[in-house]
Amino acid sequence: MSLLTADDISISFGGIRAVDHLSFEIDPGDVFCVIGPNGAGKTSIFNLVSRIYPLETGRLLFQGRDLGRLAAHDIASTGIARTFQNIKLFDNASVLTNLMLGRYRHNRAGLLEQCLFLPGARRQVLADREKVEQVIDFLDIERYRDKPAGDLSYGVRKIVELGRALVSEPTLLLLDEPSSGLSPEETLDMIFWIEDIRDKLGITVMMIEHDMRLVSAVANKVLAVNLGARLALGSATDVQADPAVVAAYLGGSPGDPLSSH
Amino acid sequence: MRGGNSVKFIRKSSYDYDLRLFPEPEDKFWYALLGIALLIAPLILPPYFLGQAVLVGIYVIAGFGLMLLSGYTGQISLGHAAFFAVGAYATAVLEKSLPFVLAFPAAGLIAGAVGILVGLPALRLSGIYLAIGTLASSFIIGEVIARWESVTRGSSGFAISKIRIGDFLLDSDARLYYLVIAVAVAALWLGRNILRSPLGIAMMAIRDSQTAAQSVGVPLARVKLIAFALSAAFTGLAGALYAHKIQFIDPDQFTLLLSVELLVIIFIGGIGSLHGCVFGAVFIIVLPQAIAILKDHIPSYLAEQTGLQAAIYAVLLLGFILFEPAGLYGIWLKTKHYFSQFPHYQKGSQKDQKSHARGESW
Ligand SMILES: Nc1ncnc2c1ncn2[C@@H]1O[C@H](COP(=O)(O)OP(=O)(O)OP(=O)(O)O)[C@@H](O)[C@H]1O
Ligand SMILES: [Mg+2]
Repeated sequence: MSLLTADDISISFGGIRAVDHLSFEIDPGDVFCVIGPNGAGKTSIFNLVSRIYPLETGRLLFQGRDLGRLAAHDIASTGIARTFQNIKLFDNASVLTNLMLGRYRHNRAGLLEQCLFLPGARRQVLADREKVEQVIDFLDIERYRDKPAGDLSYGVRKIVELGRALVSEPTLLLLDEPSSGLSPEETLDMIFWIEDIRDKLGITVMMIEHDMRLVSAVANKVLAVNLGARLALGSATDVQADPAVVAAYLGGSPGDPLSSH
Repeated sequence: MRGGNSVKFIRKSSYDYDLRLFPEPEDKFWYALLGIALLIAPLILPPYFLGQAVLVGIYVIAGFGLMLLSGYTGQISLGHAAFFAVGAYATAVLEKSLPFVLAFPAAGLIAGAVGILVGLPALRLSGIYLAIGTLASSFIIGEVIARWESVTRGSSGFAISKIRIGDFLLDSDARLYYLVIAVAVAALWLGRNILRSPLGIAMMAIRDSQTAAQSVGVPLARVKLIAFALSAAFTGLAGALYAHKIQFIDPDQFTLLLSVELLVIIFIGGIGSLHGCVFGAVFIIVLPQAIAILKDHIPSYLAEQTGLQAAIYAVLLLGFILFEPAGLYGIWLKTKHYFSQFPHYQKGSQKDQKSHARGESW
């Protein structure tokens, strides 16, 4: 059975169909990449899955559960975590606090336990902390632990945001352009991490990405979209060779991933 | 900051470390000293200053309430005078039939419930709209208190007797002082607990990015309402204590100026820090006295302007927001850091100079 099924989903803004009757399936263990020119509707797909945008048509099923029935803050507890294209960290809080917040869905301590810091609350915080430290080791961000997130460089902020998603121990991880703004070395790190996230942590990855080197390196399925609709779906090589994809990018944008390849 | 960071690296070995109430060993010493000073203060302070100390304690509690909502959860409120008033009136009315030990917590609960009522319509507002929304709510509450004469005695005011706990009458400022300090310490302890728990972290997340908070599973409406309720409850408890300090309340005591004073406490004390509540509360009590002294030394046409105090608040607020957003607590931290580093600081900078000089000689 597929992990995430999008069946005929749409959303529009004014006259623009950002996502237009789109369907796809993600299987457990996939690294599923979404590509497409600027404004193609990629981020909007994530926002539909996150329930930030309401579904106009169609259904989203995650492990058989209808996401359309859930509130935005319930998505995390189904096991879906995400990052944002324009990085949304808690800038006034330390890296550690940012990561602790990623654990929020696992909190079992009640209001009174927390207010009085009873043993239940302490146990919760210590268990969360242990997981957070594992992720800090995994991403090698030890030296930033106590720095305010707002003071960090762009690349580090990006990694911290990845960390915040990982500490929630998701089943499905949504990454919106993980390599944009990263240096070539940082992009290489990102490739290794994504492979480890799939192989060692067993997390299924859905990601939006412009850098075709990264896509070719990690993706087993690629979905190309334009104007909110599917252009092609298949392996990275097949999709890049697809005439409809080539045409969309030729008609397209300066951020053209194919020409840079 | 250099020295501080290397220390923090070692901490990782024990996660319990960060959960301690007093992270640094020397903190324990200083807090113990502060505790002793607070305990013996009534024995050495002249009566007038003791009275002021009681007011500082009351403002710490009220400021803490506002700090939870505005400082930590990022929901600005221009209407906290209303919760202060609700607490004051609730305890006054309830004590006609209930002992203080029941009426006092009940006053907190009632203020908390009113906080939820104000919070519900405010859920969709933020920034300046939220400020206006809470201001409007506080006007409505003020109006209800002034008009509901059968219960609140309206503009003729309400006299309140001294606090009695069992057979023990708190008939002096010194006795009231100990009660106020106990409540203030309990409030700050509770605040510390919340801030090291998921709830507190969720509050700060809402302040910094609502979308991201939602994406990690924070139910925005629920956490905001909890913040409103706790915030209003503590400000209400402060109001209840204030009523007993002043022993006479009427609707004119709880105006917009009080709401602004509470904002001044958290902004000048240091937004987003519990210490800030204390620094801010001391400041707000000391300031009018400073202004009174100042008045003797400035030309009378200036000194007799009615808006002088409000104008000075405004200038100070702007100054802090522009030049020291971390408030008095930020200044305190910097000073402390400077002195703790003092010898190293010099050595370090000398070494830097030397290596710099060596570099140049190449
Ligand atoms: N909240 C919104 N309000 C109005 N229009 C929106 C909104 N979100 C997306 N759109 C529009 O929908 C279209 C798709 O946007 P989306 O952000 O999904 O594209 P994208 O493929 O992620 O682009 P990029 O590669 O630039 O990130 C665009 O035309 C965009 O302007
Ligand atoms: Mg996008």
